[in-house]
Amino acid sequence: MSIPSTMRPRLTATLRGSRERWNRLGEQTAFYITSLLHIRSAVVRYTEETLRIIAQLSLGTGVLALIGGATVITAFLLGNVGIVVGFQGKADLDKIGVFALAGFFTAYIVPRVGVPLITAFGLIATVGAGSTAQLGAMRVAEEIDALEVMGIDSISYLVSTRVLAGVVIAIPVGCLAESAGIVVSRFMFTTNFGQSSGGYEHYFRTFLSPIDTVYAIIQVGIEALIIMLIHTYYGFNASGGPAGVGEATGRAVRASLVVATFATLFVVLILFGRSGNFHLSG
Amino acid sequence: MVTYNTLAKPVRGFGYFVSWSLDVLVQIVRPPFAWREFIHQCWFAARVSTLPAIGLSTAFDVVGIFLINILLIEIGAGDLSGTAAAIAVITQTGPFCTALVCSGAAATAMCADLGARTIREELDAMRVMGIDPVQRLAAPRVAALTVVAFLLCGLVCVIGFIGSYFFAIYIQNLTPGAFAASLTFIVGLRDTIVCFTKAVLFGLVGGLIACYKGFNPAPGPAGVGNAVNETVVYTLIAMIVVNSAMTAFGTVGVK
Repeated sequence: MSIPSTMRPRLTATLRGSRERWNRLGEQTAFYITSLLHIRSAVVRYTEETLRIIAQLSLGTGVLALIGGATVITAFLLGNVGIVVGFQGKADLDKIGVFALAGFFTAYIVPRVGVPLITAFGLIATVGAGSTAQLGAMRVAEEIDALEVMGIDSISYLVSTRVLAGVVIAIPVGCLAESAGIVVSRFMFTTNFGQSSGGYEHYFRTFLSPIDTVYAIIQVGIEALIIMLIHTYYGFNASGGPAGVGEATGRAVRASLVVATFATLFVVLILFGRSGNFHLSG
Repeated sequence: MVTYNTLAKPVRGFGYFVSWSLDVLVQIVRPPFAWREFIHQCWFAARVSTLPAIGLSTAFDVVGIFLINILLIEIGAGDLSGTAAAIAVITQTGPFCTALVCSGAAATAMCADLGARTIREELDAMRVMGIDPVQRLAAPRVAALTVVAFLLCGLVCVIGFIGSYFFAIYIQNLTPGAFAASLTFIVGLRDTIVCFTKAVLFGLVGGLIACYKGFNPAPGPAGVGNAVNETVVYTLIAMIVVNSAMTAFGTVGVK
């Protein structure tokens, strides 16, 4: 046990820790605002890089490109949500004797619950964690310092382009995911559980409110913005060599899981209000 | 030849993973089990995943319950909000949040830790000393994540119920007595068993993928970061497939 060099070492350490955390919060906020403000200059000055990043994020790089990147993975996740909606809907609707309303079940669950909640995780796992790993590797290989020495604005070249690209690809990714969910659950109900497709379509079309599908995409866009900001922050400020990059990726995933879900909660409350903006009986 | 290799690469990767997983599973049941490491890893996994689990499940369950209660109130069945909460939490969001926390929090942290050890050549050093890293590092980690996933599932479900209770009672003005009474209307023991079985499988799959990726990161500065990234993607995919399969298994034949 070493002799503490200051008075009240524990208290000092705690205070220093909380001061550092407080400062980090400020740094993060400053980073987020800076990178949002630089989006315009990213588009104007680094148009080519922005387009390249959009292509890269949507279809993935390296091993992830083999299985199709963010687009295919998110659609796959929502396809599985469709399967779950099918099985769970069959079981639960049967128990209360309203299996005929399966089309309504899909029209309500997929755009309102499935897409906003699940797409976020597809984006975190693919584009989010990928960006942290990429930027972190650039940071520890001192490539970011090299960029700055060459007079390139590293935040707008690396961060703002990625934030913009994340939001841009969120729209097609969200649409594709939504379609996957709807198509798969339709297949489950009509082909697998033998409901007549006419009956299914009738309730589906009656109860699918088109604005819900738009809201779902808006939510996905907001989630993508938050996810990209958090993940680029952790990647941009990685330290401690290759091991530090892995750690930063893990931390970024943990942080954005919670923050993105909470953001979804608030956006849901804002969009639908307390009453839910839903009318079954007309 | 090039095409053959490109096509064979993912299949071969999967094959390596399966054989490696079998090694780990054998080491878990074969007698010298690293108990100390197991307890450390349980503590580690619980420490990194408890806070994300609490935050995630609060928000996730409240969104789900809010949207379902809207529907119930609209058809005049607000008294059944407890049933809806039970269906949502036990059959879907509880296990799903567990899967997300296992893959996003525990598996990433585990993979980052193992990846760092691998590139610092600690694993090679262990092999030189005649210690099997699979037995000493991987087996206790996989076992620990399985145990922690089981416990996390309980935590996530309880938080889901508490969150949905408060949301239904204080924000959507439903009746507390009816909420409590209708909890067990549709969901019973069978669903609860399926729920915890799912969680155990998520932990097992997550632990195996995290350790596999942590043992084999690509060289270079991006290696560990990419390994962690792949861990999140693969665990998420694997868990969602397991979730679909278990949902199918758990609901078929229920009357």
